[in-house]
Amino acid sequence: MDDVIKDKEQRIENRTIIRVDVLVAIVFIALAVIVVRLWYLQAINGEKYKVFAEENRIRSIPVRAPRGKILDRDRRPLAVNRLAFTMTLIPEKMDDEKLLKRISELLEIPIDVIEERIESKRVDPLMPRVIKRDVSPETVAYVKEHSDKFHGVEIIDDPIRDYPRGTLASHVLGYLSEISDEELENEEPEYLLGDLIGKNGVENEYEDVLSGSKGVQLLEVNAGNVALRTLKKEEPDPGNDLVLTLDAEIQEVAERALQKGMDLAKKDGFKNARAGAIVVMDPNNGEILAMTSLPTYDPRIFSGGISEADWAVLNDENNLYPLNNRALMSSYPPGSTFKIVTSVAGLRTGVMSSRSRFTCSGGWTGWGKRWLKWCWKRSGHGSRNLEEALTVSCDSYFYDVSYLIHKRGKEELQLWSRKMGLGANTGIDLPGETGGRIPDKKWKAEFNKAWPENQTWFPGDTVNMAIGQGDLLISPLQLVSIYSIIANDGRIPRPHVVKEVITTDGMKAMAVETEEMVKIDVPASDFKAIERGLKKVTTVADGTAAGAFIGFPIPVAGKTGTSEVAGKDDYAFFAAYAPVDDPKYAISVVIEQGGHGGSVAGPAAREVFDYLFGIEDKAGMKR
Amino acid sequence: MILGSRVRKIEFGIMFITLSLIVFSILMIYSIGAISDGDDPLHFAKRQLLWAFFGIGIMGGMAFLDYSKLKAYFPLIYGGTILLLLTIILFGKSTLGAQRWISIGSFQLQPSEFAKLAIIIALAAFLERSEGKLHDVKTVIQAIGITIVPILLIIMQPDLGTALVFVVILIGILISAGIKVKHLAVILIVGLLLVAMVFQFNILKDYQQTRLVVFLNPDIDPSGSGYNLRQSMIAIGSGGIFGKGLFSGTQSRLNFIPERHTDFIFSVIGEELGLVGGGLLVLGFFLLLTRTLAIGANSRNHFGLLLATGITSMWAFQVLINIGMTIGIMPITGIPLPFISYGGSSMMTNMFAVGLLLSIYARRFS
Repeated sequence: MDDVIKDKEQRIENRTIIRVDVLVAIVFIALAVIVVRLWYLQAINGEKYKVFAEENRIRSIPVRAPRGKILDRDRRPLAVNRLAFTMTLIPEKMDDEKLLKRISELLEIPIDVIEERIESKRVDPLMPRVIKRDVSPETVAYVKEHSDKFHGVEIIDDPIRDYPRGTLASHVLGYLSEISDEELENEEPEYLLGDLIGKNGVENEYEDVLSGSKGVQLLEVNAGNVALRTLKKEEPDPGNDLVLTLDAEIQEVAERALQKGMDLAKKDGFKNARAGAIVVMDPNNGEILAMTSLPTYDPRIFSGGISEADWAVLNDENNLYPLNNRALMSSYPPGSTFKIVTSVAGLRTGVMSSRSRFTCSGGWTGWGKRWLKWCWKRSGHGSRNLEEALTVSCDSYFYDVSYLIHKRGKEELQLWSRKMGLGANTGIDLPGETGGRIPDKKWKAEFNKAWPENQTWFPGDTVNMAIGQGDLLISPLQLVSIYSIIANDGRIPRPHVVKEVITTDGMKAMAVETEEMVKIDVPASDFKAIERGLKKVTTVADGTAAGAFIGFPIPVAGKTGTSEVAGKDDYAFFAAYAPVDDPKYAISVVIEQGGHGGSVAGPAAREVFDYLFGIEDKAGMKR
Repeated sequence: MILGSRVRKIEFGIMFITLSLIVFSILMIYSIGAISDGDDPLHFAKRQLLWAFFGIGIMGGMAFLDYSKLKAYFPLIYGGTILLLLTIILFGKSTLGAQRWISIGSFQLQPSEFAKLAIIIALAAFLERSEGKLHDVKTVIQAIGITIVPILLIIMQPDLGTALVFVVILIGILISAGIKVKHLAVILIVGLLLVAMVFQFNILKDYQQTRLVVFLNPDIDPSGSGYNLRQSMIAIGSGGIFGKGLFSGTQSRLNFIPERHTDFIFSVIGEELGLVGGGLLVLGFFLLLTRTLAIGANSRNHFGLLLATGITSMWAFQVLINIGMTIGIMPITGIPLPFISYGGSSMMTNMFAVGLLLSIYARRFS
């Protein structure tokens, strides 16, 4: 009986043990699955998750680099950085409507404008949002006194551009403005929303040199995206400084001279003389010593972010687009200043020599009586050689020369224009340059596609071009270049405005190489013949610029120009270089709707030469 | 010799494992430090230590009592538990969309923790008379009935995860009570159909559905519902083999891991102690569970066996679900990791269970 019971108990035991073993097996499998999964996560994928964990806790905040300065050739500052106060808002307070309202009232900026500024998704979530740059010290003081009401508003020192010489050389310098969305998409990836980027001028052309490279600050953040500490800070690499070829003093004189030239024009009755340009260049090395364009603008209005009203003024047609640098963005029919190109073409094609004489009777009928063309002096200049023709700017002489060239049928006037660098960009280190236009058969056919009757190139077109009228267009920068070619016996280096790049401690980082732009093969005697004519323009009684250079002791080779523009007053031109025997300066002056070159542009150039050669007597301007 | 017989009555193995787990828990909670800025970094560690002392007292007290005496009180224990759960639904405090807590002074009790043990005792007492041969369908259905009442009450809180623990306890006890494979299969099939119905009729709350969806695809919304899981996996994965060291888990210190002293404490362990630390903890649980089953198998009677298997089922399931959710193999629920997660109710329940096991062991021959 005992055995039976024992046997029964034994069987119960066995079954129990089997069942318990099943449970042990289940437990083992469950825990083994966990360990295998841990192995997968930690041993196999550990490195991947380590990266994720670091990405979680570390935020890298870019640190903007100080922008390089812009200096004139003697390292006088033209564009520098000024410490300013920028009002920012910490991201946590972005939705605080009451605070935004208080800020809006304080800065007098509509609240929706503020919201639009701070809500950009492209800013790093940890970066303070810029509300306004260049906040006044009074505003800063107010915010600090009422800090309890402006919790979350931070005032940071943020350098902005300042211009110690005001509007001086504003077109060459350019300006800065906040990077646009399109630029952000197209530019290099290191740019961020809110970054300032150079627009126009050397600020734009040398953006890479000036901007430097950003530093980075590594912050440790918690899950709430609150920065707890700085792990590492890499200082930004400040931008390099630009040393321009400009001379601030010459620039100032040139700007004043252009204004005076326009004032003279107004006195003469040319009320629309409101725009113009002067370029002063060293013909030996292509260094631009002064480049001025009127009307101008004050680059300081861009510094704290330009207001809409200011922007509208700058883009109003009635204000003649002050942002445009007319010295290289505008091109004009250059009038008689172009006659030196016709002279070179005539000499080189052999249709004439410097001694060849043509007779001017006032009216020119070389192409037939039906197409009578007048010289500017309707009573005629009589028999003239090249030198004499240039002196009095006889149109008939150049009609004859160009008609002879035309008859050769090889478009050689155009050919020599191009050889002298016209019709193409000079390649100056400034943005927005126009190459002008050298009209020819092909161009005319293309241009008048819709008007077949106007497609034919007539002798009249060549003849018109010879005196710088018609469809020919050249920029003031090109004008100074072709006079430099005469000054320099056929060759000129490429014009440029940056002399060298230096580091912030003044060490030279990069010098601008002067490369040759134009080299034409013309016998020196031919140039001398042209030069003699140009010299007489300013020195002999019947020279067209003699009045402007009365009493000027240094020999100047120059040429006036007056060009007709349909529907407008005549445009005044003057181009020159001096001293004749050892040219140091070349200049071009354009005054839109200023009337006669000799009476307004010439005196403006004289004003500049007075300064360049230290001449006290301002007879030219006094008249 | 008298001393010797007393010593032989004590199961040092399970005591050692349990105490090691508790020390480890306090260490980890200490390493986690303050949960929010400005809090006392030792706050939770101190309180967990306090719970541990209470727990050890409960364990000791229970070890001296004869567990068999509980049998007589099982209707009372069961009835009391049901009442307690009803109270919660009527007066409980609501956190995170669920009512799980009763406040007593500054302490909050979580009756569903105690209810687990109560149901283990009730089921064990009820099924003991089958003596390992649970062939009677009626008894099986009665056992299901006993369990289903608290399950429904807990689902109403709603706390689906804890309700599942009851299901697993029931199945574990039924297996060791000798249920026929046929019957077990029917129960499982009916259970699966019920789950299907739950989905079909949208009984789940939105957050529960989201958790399940996220579990199936953690990258679906990394900053939203998938955030907890993703951050937990980053924490554990980034711990690598040896971990970042105590006090050095960046995911933990910088608040990326939610509920890191309670439900997600294993994420911190994985991050700071690596595969080695996590593996050792899992090994500790393996030893605990196998010791528990061994105690059951050596029990003087079936009551002891059923108690031990019920406790094993409870712990094993909680370990699997809790660690499983932190490593992305289980959906996210609010089930604590036994002995490790911070919490008094769970600590006292578990230590009571250890006391029961010690009592079963001490009386294995009598």
